[in-house]
Amino acid sequence: MSRKLKTQLYEGMYILSSTLSEDARQKALDKIVHGITEKGGEIKKIFDQGRKKLAYEINGRREGHYYVMFFEAPSLIVSELWHEYHLNEDLIRFLHLTTEQVPESLEFKPIVQA
Amino acid sequence: MRRVSAQDLGLKKRKKCPFTEAGLKQIDYKDIETLTQFITERGKILPRRITGVSHHFQQLLSQAIKRARYMALLPFVAQD
Repeated sequence: MSRKLKTQLYEGMYILSSTLSEDARQKALDKIVHGITEKGGEIKKIFDQGRKKLAYEINGRREGHYYVMFFEAPSLIVSELWHEYHLNEDLIRFLHLTTEQVPESLEFKPIVQA
Repeated sequence: MRRVSAQDLGLKKRKKCPFTEAGLKQIDYKDIETLTQFITERGKILPRRITGVSHHFQQLLSQAIKRARYMALLPFVAQD
């Protein structure tokens, strides 16, 4: 069956561990990106939001490095990504949501200022 | 003779939904500045009888606050 899969624009927010070094963090991000592209997704834009303080402690971590990514992917892969990313220890939290458009710029501040 | 209004009787003026007034369609979970206006100091979601948010937007608002909490942008419970 060679039916073309329906794609959808997604917004993903990822919190990577802030204890990682610059290289290790880049590697972890590449792993996330690779997970999407490998399954037939296409990255539209990546926003690096930098290091931010977490509103509460997650597994003993008080800070995290935030990334927001916009990607287009077949809807079937999102649940696969969910299973894959849950095994990733460098990734503290992630959230995938459907969205309508890719914004030009993006900025947000957590409630607790670093 | 003038009609007696609700204010004359000492009743409060009906609040208007701030989101409907602003003409918004969606509430973004990343927009922490807006979301913090609708939570208490403890981090609880304010009831709409206090804020005057419409039923439709209260549903979107609570979803957005819960997403922001999950991504550690807002606290579940504020520390003392």
